[in-house]
This record gives sequence, C-alpha cells and structure tokens, in this order.
Amino acid sequence: MAKEKRVKGDGKRHAIQAAVTLAYNFKLWNFLSGSISQGKTKSICVPGLNCYSCPGAVGACPMGALQNTVRNGGRISFPYYALGMLILFGAVLGRLICGFLCPFGFVQDLLYKIPFFKKLRSFRGDRALRWIKYAVLLLLCILFPMFLSGDWVTVPFFCKYICPSGMLFGAIPLTLANPALASQAGGLFWWKIAVLAVIVLLSLLISRPFCRYLCPLGAFYGLFNRIAIVNLQHSEDKCTHCGACEAVCPMGIDPVKDYASTECIRCTRCARACPHGALHLGIGAQKNSDKKQAAANRRKAGRKNK
Amino acid sequence: MKRAYFGIAAGVIGLVLIAYGVLSGQAGLVLQKAIRVCLECVGLG
Repeated sequence: MAKEKRVKGDGKRHAIQAAVTLAYNFKLWNFLSGSISQGKTKSICVPGLNCYSCPGAVGACPMGALQNTVRNGGRISFPYYALGMLILFGAVLGRLICGFLCPFGFVQDLLYKIPFFKKLRSFRGDRALRWIKYAVLLLLCILFPMFLSGDWVTVPFFCKYICPSGMLFGAIPLTLANPALASQAGGLFWWKIAVLAVIVLLSLLISRPFCRYLCPLGAFYGLFNRIAIVNLQHSEDKCTHCGACEAVCPMGIDPVKDYASTECIRCTRCARACPHGALHLGIGAQKNSDKKQAAANRRKAGRKNK
Repeated sequence: MKRAYFGIAAGVIGLVLIAYGVLSGQAGLVLQKAIRVCLECVGLG
C-alpha cells in the first residue's frame, strides 16, 4: 500500500484547517435540527469554499455569492461585492487560502493520507487538465449564470452541477436530519453524489484533485499568487537544488523553479521539508537570487575554511 | 517586496469594490441568498 510522505509540521497545519472549518461552521446544533443559520454574518464571505447551505455555516461562500450577483432581477449586474471580497482575499493571501483556510481542501488532505494501492504525483495529461478549472470559473461561475439564467432566478451553475462541498457540508447533513428535504432528492441529487464520490475516490489516488482540476476559487486565487502580500520566498544562495521540496509538494510542482506558480497552494510543506531553510513565507513573492551576495557568501565561507 | 505593492494595490481595489457593493445593496442580496436553503447547491433545485 502506498502512503503519503510525512513532513514535520503537517499536524499543526491540519489543526489550523480543522479550526478554520469549525469557525466557518460553528453553529453545530443546526446539524441536529436540519436547518441553516439565519444570522446577518452570512452577508460576509468566508475565504474558502464552504457552502452557505451547510447547517452550521456562519458566512457566505464567495463563489456562490459571485454566481448569485452576476445577475439581479433579470438583468446582468456587475458583482462588485463578491468580486471585491475575492480580490481582497486573493491580494492578501493568494492560494494560501487553499492550503490553510479551505474546508474542502482539508477533506482532500485527509483523504490522501489514507493508504491506497498507488499514489500518483503526476501523470500524462495532468498539466492540461489543470486548465479545466479556468473554464469552470469563466463558464459555470460567470457567463452561464449571467446569460443562461431565467428572468427572475439566477442559476448558480457551478453550485448546481459540480460543487462537491455543497453536497458534503450541505446536502448530506440536511437530508439526513430533515426528512422533508430528503423526500425531494431526485436525479440532480444523485448526479452530485456521483461527482462527490468520484472526487473522494480520486483524492485517495491523487493529492487534491478537485483543487488541481476543478476548483474555480483556486483558479481565481491562483491569479494572485505572484502579487499576494503574504507569499513564498526562495533564497537561491541557500538552495542546493536537492529536490526535497519538489518530492513533498501536494500539487506536483517544483517550488524552486516556480515558487510563485498559480498552482502552488502555499501549504508550506516544501518550506518545512527543505533542510537548508531556502523556502519560507514572507511579505511579497521574492527570489533572493542576488548573485553578488551568493558569491560573497561563498568567498566568506572559503576564507573561514583557510 | 516590489510585488507586494501590487498586492496592496489589488487589496485596495478589492476594498473599494466591497464598499460600493455594500452601498448598492449587494451585501443584502448575498445575505438573502445565504439564509435560505440553496436548493441548487444541495442538489434539490
């Protein structure tokens, strides 16, 4: 059975992910009543993918909010509020949100820890498939809700046909606790159960398949990875190109070659695996490739050795 | 560090959009959607 490589500090990251999941959904008593929270805090978006129909949810899903505000009262409208939230989160944290603040990312991380007959780091077509998430963002989250919705009802196409987070955190607890809702389950419900089942199965084989190929939120935040305020930094003068970072990357990228990649979820596994401390989180994406400084360091080390 | 300034500028744009969205009632629209069970989200709509 294949297992995921362990990296020091993973437990702490998972503890943060668990705390964030609980913070997004702290009205736990709603899971028993099969109802959802009605609080005013739900006008504020949380950074991660967390369905606002989860019984415990205290905030709104930013992707759900975006889809529901691109059209209003039968007319196309500019989604100032949801887009502003997405830009703000992306500008400050980039895809660090995927690594630390997304409940569905946490679920996939836990699933990948389960030993399975094989663990795939990459495969033929992996790079090409990653473009799907941009199509999901553009088509299912913006253009289809904008142009294919009815006169009065805006259809959130991504939530309706794809989102596995809505099924896991919303549909399953609600239908288990609320027989009236369970009685309405039809073809769409079972379609979404099938989507969730496929993603769960893939998560045993590939690390973060939903984040890699389908997540529109990750696609959006990834666009900010190069300019996000909190970012990954690489020190060329400390790096020995040993490949320890690449070997543990859950997204199958080489952090040394492209530390500001749109695919990097800033989980910091690379930084923790690096024996020389060449990668770390800091303010602004940066490659400390000061050749003069690196050469000076080498000369200094040479003099000391003499 | 230079790139962080682009991040700060983007963050400010985000804040301006949020403020305009709140003033134009979009926060209320998000709340209205979020406090009702989203039947599409849970595969019942």
